[in-house]
Amino acid sequence: MATRSTNSIDVFGATLTRRQFVKTSGILAVGVSVVGTSPLRGDTPKGTVAKNSLDPSLASSWLEIHPNGTVTIRTGKNDFGQGSVYTAYRQIVAEELSVPFEAITTVVTGSTDQTPDGGGSFGFLNDGTPNLRKVAAYTYQALLDLAATKLGVPKDKLTVKDGVASGGGKDISYGDLIKGQQLSLTIPVKGDLTNIIGLTVDGNPPMKPVSEYTVIGKSFPSSAIREKVSAKANWATDVRLPGMLHGRIVHPKTLGSTLISAGKLDKVKFPSAQVIVKQNLVGVVAPTEWEAIQAAQQVAAETKWTDWKGLPGTAKLYQYLKKESDWTSTPVMKSGATKGDTAAALASAKKKLSATYQLSYMKHAPIGPTMAIGDVQADGMVHIHTHNQNPQELRGEIAKMLGTTIDKVVVHIYPGPGHYGRSNGGNAGAEDEAVILSQAVGKPVRVQWMRADDIQWSTQSPASFSDVELAVDDQGKLAAFQIDHYMPAMQDDRLVGAVLAGLPTTPAPDVRGDFVTSTVNNISDEWLYAQAPNVIERGHGTFQVGQKASPIAVGLRDHSMRTPVQFQQNYPRELAISEAAVLAGADAIQFRIDNLKEERAIGVLKTVRESSGWDVRPSPKPGVATTGKEPVRGRGVSLMLRDGTYWACVCHIAVTPDTGVIKVEKCTFAVDPGVIINPTHLKRHVEGGAMMGISMALLEEVTIDESGVTQDDWNSYPILTMADIPEIKVELIPNPKVGKYGGGSEAANALAAPAIAAAFYDATGKAIRRLPMKPAYVLEALKA
Amino acid sequence: MVTINVNGARREVQAPGDTPLLYVLRNDLLLTGPQFGCGLAQCGACSVLIDGKEVRSCITALSDVGTDQEITTLEGLPGRWAKQKGLSQEEAKNTLHPVQHAWIEEQTPQCGFCQNGMMIKATELLESNSNPTPEQIKAAYTTSGISPILCRCGTYKAVMESVQRAAAIMAKGR
Ligand code: FES
Ligand code: FES
Repeated sequence: MATRSTNSIDVFGATLTRRQFVKTSGILAVGVSVVGTSPLRGDTPKGTVAKNSLDPSLASSWLEIHPNGTVTIRTGKNDFGQGSVYTAYRQIVAEELSVPFEAITTVVTGSTDQTPDGGGSFGFLNDGTPNLRKVAAYTYQALLDLAATKLGVPKDKLTVKDGVASGGGKDISYGDLIKGQQLSLTIPVKGDLTNIIGLTVDGNPPMKPVSEYTVIGKSFPSSAIREKVSAKANWATDVRLPGMLHGRIVHPKTLGSTLISAGKLDKVKFPSAQVIVKQNLVGVVAPTEWEAIQAAQQVAAETKWTDWKGLPGTAKLYQYLKKESDWTSTPVMKSGATKGDTAAALASAKKKLSATYQLSYMKHAPIGPTMAIGDVQADGMVHIHTHNQNPQELRGEIAKMLGTTIDKVVVHIYPGPGHYGRSNGGNAGAEDEAVILSQAVGKPVRVQWMRADDIQWSTQSPASFSDVELAVDDQGKLAAFQIDHYMPAMQDDRLVGAVLAGLPTTPAPDVRGDFVTSTVNNISDEWLYAQAPNVIERGHGTFQVGQKASPIAVGLRDHSMRTPVQFQQNYPRELAISEAAVLAGADAIQFRIDNLKEERAIGVLKTVRESSGWDVRPSPKPGVATTGKEPVRGRGVSLMLRDGTYWACVCHIAVTPDTGVIKVEKCTFAVDPGVIINPTHLKRHVEGGAMMGISMALLEEVTIDESGVTQDDWNSYPILTMADIPEIKVELIPNPKVGKYGGGSEAANALAAPAIAAAFYDATGKAIRRLPMKPAYVLEALKA
Repeated sequence: MVTINVNGARREVQAPGDTPLLYVLRNDLLLTGPQFGCGLAQCGACSVLIDGKEVRSCITALSDVGTDQEITTLEGLPGRWAKQKGLSQEEAKNTLHPVQHAWIEEQTPQCGFCQNGMMIKATELLESNSNPTPEQIKAAYTTSGISPILCRCGTYKAVMESVQRAAAIMAKGR
């Protein structure tokens, strides 16, 4: 029999309650209480969050400690390949709780009925304070309080090692502390469950000092890797529900076409298939996948769409962006680095440069196209099985689309192909289409996009350009730097199936959007050259290309992709800084060091200089060539601060002038994230990001005609292969005195492009200011 | 009804003969190691071994697979190794292929979606070349098959290191 108790104590703003004593097992469940406004999105009906959810307004589990000392942790963030939830998160929690890494036996991620906080799966380390760290810190304090009472020893006389608290000659394990009781710790939380950030744990519980770390800093393996490698993982693509149909979408002919008539299904060939039409959304379902694919092809061939021409086409894209886009409706943003009188300094300078830098549209291009299973049940419950970076936001969006409440929607999360930011606002493409088709047929429907759907109908990273004006003084230092970044909106979170079907969804990016969905172009590349006396950085935003002109409001939909916005801003800045060094007649690394103040930035540059075998001298290299069959060689550097981590990169390249082919021969990274949590995994992230970054820099450009994307497979949208990888070296710089851990992974993507472009100048004496550096554009630059 | 030989067992399948092997494996036989990546023989996510050769199951029709041909999927790698090493049934159950061990030791995958193809290609390579050079590894993953095996997460360096580690493990006969 359980005995009721009203015991509760305050733990740094959290509340520890002993609810009851139980005879058998016991549990310490750490739940949440809400401070501030409702955590549910304003325009979503605010019904009670039903059984299918860990109700954020009631105590529920983020973290459970069991009587045998094992720990379960839960996070709304979901693994996209970095493994941080299976490595770093376990290490962080183990550290704060003072338990061994192995004690954390279960990690529950993503699914909306099993995790408390939501939020997009990005910025996993978020300047060193993910929610779980604070939760663990509160829990540790609560455990100390329990131990102090139990042992009769003051809290400050207790120490904990491997989950055993000791003091005054006595000790007790966490397991024994909670055995036979049901304890609940309620902690303060704020935020919006279904937006891009999700809920955030509030307050400031004491954290373990970095000097006492024993678990953080070691290379523990990821438990997810063993499962995937041994074919034990249950991928989203593997989920099969009873009665499930396979679905394929017949997407419109152009990004602005409306449906004239859907093709008629050949019932002789495809007796079990069905066509579903909802406004401009045409879907085909069948009991087997092969029948669905073939039937969709047959229907597609006979479906009639209106024509549409409303895009500028690749050849005229930059002219369109410069001359025809509306840069005046959206407020211009200025960075906090603004200082001095840049205009005056530029006017009076002798050595100056004025240049424009261009970035292409790029695809997230996941190795597996988006897929999801929608299961709209007779009782009104909606289940979605998929792989998604923001399941709670998806849940809110699906509720909105169906005009139901979010308690009716459950998103179940499984591993899947990384898609690098595409679904951090809740959708990658197939989710809502699966729900619409399921609702139409009353059965679960698995929608799998084909490769062409994924290239032509997904969002992309927007094209952009930046205008730079800079000057260097007689001492060879940066005297003035002015940069104007121009980029269409980057975060279209609309459900594309809902758009096609004419169902409610979140608005398209507009001047008045929230902080992510507006057209505002914030400055997100932190200015580093603090010695420069005159600086101005401005961000100019506009609408997505073709979206307003498209009769179906589609056009080129954009979405954040690895190091979003900062990639688009750091590339022009860092390339321009390398060009400023040329103007100053200085070595590109030394020029940077001479204009910096921050020691960590200088540190990564010195490390990368040493490690890469950099030859100190101005660019270009003596004996450059712009013609010939023989490759010419050069090296370039780049620098960035992102999420608390300093990055420097050197690329050594070979350019063959006659063919315009650039090969990166060596790529060296220096990374200072402050505290390093898991060296092996950080190194693997950097290597991977570096390769993707080289791929983007050299190869990747979404090509468009006036109607849509002209690529449809891996031949037309090529990515880097193993044949083209350089020698890669990663120097990790542990810097524990920083006292926190910065982000890893995605930032690595951004460093290669400006370093390669600077290396190109070094090798040829010609500037290249356009991405990607594919042969056609390289040859143009060489001729210029 | 078609009979095929998968991972050492004879399996009967009902699917029409023109069905790509990928869907037969994944949907009929629930062997989900091979993944759908492109359906166009351009990426390698769907790779399997047929008689020891890396083949794209997304473009291989069921009817083109001979009854006597041996299909090995990711699930079948441990059994393939056990058979090659003459391990007992009991040992075979608790083993992984050296390629899989190497992939765990090197912490190779990022998202892992392409890694089926990466491991299948490694197995094909190491069965014919027990100690490949970096250039031979690169050639295996780019020019030896119908297309390069692609990884969007950029794990190519990790894969190269893992192939070499697998070679070392195999040399020890573990
Ligand atoms: S899925 Fe078969 S090669 Fe891409
Ligand atoms: S590990 Fe993600 S695609 Fe290769």
